[in-house]
Amino acid sequence: MKIFKVALGILAAIGGFVDIGDLVFNVAAGATFGYQLLWVVVIGVVGIIVYSEMCGRVAAVSGKAVFDAVRERVGFKAGLAALLSAQVVNLMTLTAEIGGLAICLQLLSGLPYRLLILIAGVGLLIVVWFVAFEWVERIFGYGGLCMLVFAVAAVKLHPAWGAVGHGFVPHLETQSPVLYAYFAVGLLGAAMTPYEVYFYSSGGVEERWGPKDLGLNKVNAMIGYGLGGFLSFALMIVGGALFLGQGIEPEFLGTIALGAEVPLGQIGLLLGLVGILFAVSGAAIDTLFSGAYNLAQFLGWEWGRYRHPRGAPKFTVTWVVLLVLALGVVMTGVDPVQLTEYAVIFSAVALPLTYIPIFLVANDRTYMREYTNGRIANVLGIVYLVVIMVIAVSAVPLMILTNVGQN
Amino acid sequence: MRTFSSIVGRVVETESGRRLGRCHDMRAVLGQGIPRVEELIVGRGGLLEHFGIGTPKAHSPNAVPWEAVLRIEGDRVVVRDGTELV
Amino acid sequence: MTKTIDLGLNLLDHQLLDAEGRRCGKVDDIALEGGPGEDLEVVAILCGPGVWRARAGWIGRIAAWLGGGGRVRIPWEEVDGVGSHVKLRKRAEELGLGRGDDRLRPYIEKIPGADH
Repeated sequence: MKIFKVALGILAAIGGFVDIGDLVFNVAAGATFGYQLLWVVVIGVVGIIVYSEMCGRVAAVSGKAVFDAVRERVGFKAGLAALLSAQVVNLMTLTAEIGGLAICLQLLSGLPYRLLILIAGVGLLIVVWFVAFEWVERIFGYGGLCMLVFAVAAVKLHPAWGAVGHGFVPHLETQSPVLYAYFAVGLLGAAMTPYEVYFYSSGGVEERWGPKDLGLNKVNAMIGYGLGGFLSFALMIVGGALFLGQGIEPEFLGTIALGAEVPLGQIGLLLGLVGILFAVSGAAIDTLFSGAYNLAQFLGWEWGRYRHPRGAPKFTVTWVVLLVLALGVVMTGVDPVQLTEYAVIFSAVALPLTYIPIFLVANDRTYMREYTNGRIANVLGIVYLVVIMVIAVSAVPLMILTNVGQN
Repeated sequence: MRTFSSIVGRVVETESGRRLGRCHDMRAVLGQGIPRVEELIVGRGGLLEHFGIGTPKAHSPNAVPWEAVLRIEGDRVVVRDGTELV
Repeated sequence: MTKTIDLGLNLLDHQLLDAEGRRCGKVDDIALEGGPGEDLEVVAILCGPGVWRARAGWIGRIAAWLGGGGRVRIPWEEVDGVGSHVKLRKRAEELGLGRGDDRLRPYIEKIPGADH
């Protein structure tokens, strides 16, 4: 029975792994550089696996979620800075996800965009309020599995597999190094977006993981995000096979969905759009809760995704307010795909404030007792902290230099 | 009444002006009733401890006993001459 | 062997749990009595937005204003134990904590589905 539960969790994770940031950056990277950036995706996936495992272990052993530990470890002032930056980035991401959702609905229904924004927002509100969270996870997780159609599409497009293989070998592009670096930063930022670890650790605390669940934590992190990474590869391969050299930049979600239609016809298009719909909605919900978790955990409020709204009133009001705020921003007509790029780049800047405290806590014996980081976790943890700091420092300059990837 | 945050962060120096470091924390003894502050954790080593790097030992090498404190004024904590980081 | 605790590391900014295990804030500051030449003792835990003013400069003052500026003083006698959380002897309402949640709850309960 436990194996079944693990499998369910993994399936939900795959469906939930790809959000609008991954979608946009992986396909765009494929359209611009073909398969050459596949190795960067691998780095991103390993990074999120390493740090999710750490967060999950912190939750299981100390009973604390990330922001609890952040405030305790680095203090009020630095914690407040981390909180503010996390909230800003979170709100941008949430806005982009809702906009993406509205576009999806438009492609499926043909109804006007503005109306669909409202429907999307109200729909999310109703689902999150009335539906028990276990079901929310299942619905959006499995729905997101429709994204696997892109994996099928990738194969059916008969990419040059030799070139694909070559893309997994790290190498630096010499013709447009700045643009290449921009996409590398974007892919890593999209793979390691902060809300993912906040959400994962909060879930671990709510499910009352203990030391006996450390194995489950590792499996969840590795297989869930690993297979999710596999979906990212598919997206980049589709982007490379279809759009490279065609002068098509996948600025529209419709163009991305084409990636499934061209090789698989109408059914591919439908599955692709449904997959994107569920993946992006699921991500929107995760992002929304992440924002509420961060505030509640920083301030010591009652919180929880499985609680009745009456059990955590301030927490509930927080996520409703965040949703309304994001809706408001989407209503101003901002382009969700453009906003996604900004959200990913700013996420990249916020990565150090997210991951450094996690690393500190995971090594602290007063929290972790005998379960502090082993050698592998520490070596990889430090390597990624270095990577993250490089990304954080270079993200905004690269964004400016490449004119947000247009160049 | 003083607050913890109003003492921590101040520079700790001796009466003759020798700077020992910045106060980063306080160690208190939990007895039967009210906890009593035993020492101030001071200096750069103290900062590392505050961030949880390295295990705090029973008598950290970066502590100043509370008895050595003469007065708290301005933005400093003034301690008796001859106080060394223990 | 007497137990010692580092106030900044083990007490400040830690989660407060009331007698029923309900989350009701964090240790925002610590009240001390005494001074140079005499014993310095921990007499109370301070909690609430008003307390942030002293902790984070101008950002703290803005946050304090946004939060409504309330302060709660929890005498040390109310503390049951200090571990990974700070456990209190009484229920949150009895100590003046959790007021935000208590104030909002009646409104939320009126909305259908708040109880599922």
